[in-house]
Amino acid sequence: MMGMSPSFASTQAWTISRRSLAERWQLFAGAFLSVTLGVALVQSSLLLLISAALYEPPAGLSAADRMEFTDSTAAVVSMLGIILGIATFLAGFIISSTFAFTVAQRRRDLALLRLVGAGRGQVRRLLLGEAVLLGTLGAAVGVPLGLVVMAAQTWLLRRMGFVPDGFRGEWREWILAGSFGTGIVLAVAGAMVAARRAARVRPLEALRETGDAARVMTVTRWLAGLLFFGGALALIIVAPHGGPDGGAAMAMNVPLPAAIAAAALSPLVVPLLGCLLPTGSGVAGVLARANLWDARRRSASVAAPLIVLVALVVGTAGAGQTFTTSGIDELRRQTHADLVVGTTGPPATAIAAVPGVATASTESSLPVTYTTGHGEDAETETGSALVIDPAAYALAHSAGSSLTSLSGHAVAAGPSGDVPAHGTVKIELPGLKLGSLPIVAAAPTTMSGGADLLLPPGVAPASLLESAPTRSFVTLRPGADLPTTRAALAKIGTVSTTDAWLTADAKARTKTSDKIMLVIMGLGGLYALIGVVNSIVIGAAARRREFAEARITGLTRTQVVRSALLESAAVTVAGLVLGAVAAAGAYWAAVASTAAVTGHGTLSVPWPLVGAVCLVALLVTGATSLITSWSATRRPPITLLAARE
Amino acid sequence: MTRADAAVTLRGVSRVYGRGAAAVRAVDDVTIEFPRGGWTAVMGPSGSGKSTLLHCAAGLERVDAGQVLLGGTDLTAARDRELTALRRTRIGFVFQSFNLIGSLTAAQNVALPLRLAGRRPRGSEVRDTLAAVGLADRVRHRPRELSGGQQQRVAIARAMVTRPDVLFADEPTGALDSSAAHVVLDLMRQMADAGQAIVMVTHDPVAAARADAVIFLRDGRVVDRLAGAGPREVADRLAGWEARR
Ligand SMILES: Nc1ncnc2c1ncn2[C@@H]1O[C@H](COP(=O)(O)OP(=O)(O)OP(=O)(O)O)[C@@H](O)[C@H]1O
Ligand SMILES: [Mg+2]
Repeated sequence: MMGMSPSFASTQAWTISRRSLAERWQLFAGAFLSVTLGVALVQSSLLLLISAALYEPPAGLSAADRMEFTDSTAAVVSMLGIILGIATFLAGFIISSTFAFTVAQRRRDLALLRLVGAGRGQVRRLLLGEAVLLGTLGAAVGVPLGLVVMAAQTWLLRRMGFVPDGFRGEWREWILAGSFGTGIVLAVAGAMVAARRAARVRPLEALRETGDAARVMTVTRWLAGLLFFGGALALIIVAPHGGPDGGAAMAMNVPLPAAIAAAALSPLVVPLLGCLLPTGSGVAGVLARANLWDARRRSASVAAPLIVLVALVVGTAGAGQTFTTSGIDELRRQTHADLVVGTTGPPATAIAAVPGVATASTESSLPVTYTTGHGEDAETETGSALVIDPAAYALAHSAGSSLTSLSGHAVAAGPSGDVPAHGTVKIELPGLKLGSLPIVAAAPTTMSGGADLLLPPGVAPASLLESAPTRSFVTLRPGADLPTTRAALAKIGTVSTTDAWLTADAKARTKTSDKIMLVIMGLGGLYALIGVVNSIVIGAAARRREFAEARITGLTRTQVVRSALLESAAVTVAGLVLGAVAAAGAYWAAVASTAAVTGHGTLSVPWPLVGAVCLVALLVTGATSLITSWSATRRPPITLLAARE
Repeated sequence: MTRADAAVTLRGVSRVYGRGAAAVRAVDDVTIEFPRGGWTAVMGPSGSGKSTLLHCAAGLERVDAGQVLLGGTDLTAARDRELTALRRTRIGFVFQSFNLIGSLTAAQNVALPLRLAGRRPRGSEVRDTLAAVGLADRVRHRPRELSGGQQQRVAIARAMVTRPDVLFADEPTGALDSSAAHVVLDLMRQMADAGQAIVMVTHDPVAAARADAVIFLRDGRVVDRLAGAGPREVADRLAGWEARR
């Protein structure tokens, strides 16, 4: 019935596309920016991940250093994997919500097109054509920008000691296809749902903003909201059954689906916050309250990236901190010792011979490469082994009778839980192949991990132990004088109280994951914040007319700006609250998991971080709203209203 | 069946907004024919359902009961794809608030329906249509650079460029002063004399008197009809219906 050649239709769509690009540049600049930054972040993370995975240790390293190197490379690869995952998630979320918002903001233009005879297909093709164009342009700038981001990320990794100085992210030819693909696919996917909807509503309703066109809680929104809510709930329910590592991984992943669910369902919640605006705030307050309700779509678009920001930063960091604290608490309960003596190699003088000492468990740490399983299932990993005296170890670490059978040419599975409790394991110490040894015992698994293997005395040669970092957990005789004993021990090595040593040890071990959090939060948080600014700018671009109408009605410019500020504050608070709800989901999973693993539920909220995030969010949204509404009201209102369309 | 001389036929058309106690019968069981080559004005008190009736007749609004026929085509049974094609070819619509696309020039606005229909407009086609509404010298102006009356004439040119079977106009002179309104009404009179079917909603008895016939709506029903009356007679009749509240 339309009887038109597809090529002509698309030429037509391009003509209109180019025109609307020129007219509504803020919308398109926002969409373009979201693609550019998203592509840059994903490309840089992907290139670094591949470079790290293929990185060869420099020649001339000692056997022990080589093992350490392999161990730390594995950590960097898994960290970059997490960063890539988060970058992709953020890019998908922010690009698609920005595109959906720009389409929604132009509903009136699209309705006019439909009224003069544009078909549904034409509107869809127009919008998708724009998405392809913006995705391509965004990627074209995003690719070179990605190289800058990669240089910054490499510098960060090097500064923090994750990678050696020689490490460089390397360019790959195919990344061009990957980056352009990412930009175009994410842009089109974001525009798709909005375009279908814009094409489907009846033109008259779109023009008047009534009926279907005014509905914000669409079926897609409900579906996405409930689906991801279910996903987050499932993670929360399963996390306590995942053991120490699985539980932590699941709890730290709760913020992602929870944030999507909260963002999708936010139009239900955001206007409610309008009711909390102080009623005494005069006409600006009345206007802000009315706008919160009337412009639920716009409010939701500003709140969405905020929700992701809070959920990701506060939720993930809090869950991580909870697991660390829980690990320290557990060790505190398990460790029975008064002092810890640190030495290099086993102490020269017997600690047990020092007057006042009842028992001492001396433990030397060695890097180890171990292989479990046979044939196809064989798995080789790098980790650490502790050379111990089983009886003393069991006393100092509440291991009970679990290690009584550890002696001779055999090993025990360590508290990390990474080695099975039965079977055999092939072990290689620095410069020494030990061959296959039976696993005859297993120490209880702990939250905070620790050594992978426990070796009885005599398995590792003394020459290797000489340089091994060693600690001895010391218990004093009843009635022994602490200062005297301490002074005597200080001649053997560095002495600290057990509490101080456990805290320092946990800090040293979580330093890596703390730095990982910093890298992820720094980049992800910045991108999400840019998403917030983007939404406010896009929203304000379409509001010049609305502001002008308010001023013609008698509001002063200051009142209009104040009302815009009030509205943005309410939306920001709503975003923070919803983000906090999503983060609370992660906390819930973390508490349940720590309770299941250690018997004691722990919760540790990073309050300074929470405060900082809230402050930054309020400042950024406030400043952006102030600037955009001030500049949108610069011209006298009549010049806008006289030019009716 | 439809008589050959009817451009648009409405049979028992109703449109209800809302449900239950809040339901509003904006158009209530209206049966009417708008003749081919005739200009009909629709009048009535505010809220009597004039705009709704026009939207239903033009296929812009769903009807809850009854049938709308454009020539031989049943609009009530048409799918969106067909309605879109009809909007491009056989129906023209003019709004009180012009609804031009702000980023396009006058010529581009007028050419839009042709381009959307997949036709490359001949250079003269658009210029002639704009010349016919007296805007030959405003071809490259954007809507914000035109006066209200000029913008409305561009909107009429845009509606007319496809030579539609019927031109619908909802208060086309509502936003114009009397001299600008006069120019627009003269233009419509010329078109009607040339055989164009026009259905126009108006509040202005002077405008209504330029039409061939006037129908009066109240509470969604057609309550009266006048043909060949002058402004005074139309105004008296309207005042009569508005007084009977
Ligand atoms: N989208 C809608 N939803 C609910 N009610 C509506 C809607 N559109 C119109 N109405 C109601 O239908 C009735 C008729 O409206 P309509 O716009 O057709 O009146 P009108 O005769 O054109 O009035 P006016 O002369 O003021 O333009 C009114 O009571 C109006 O409130
Ligand atoms: Mg009306």
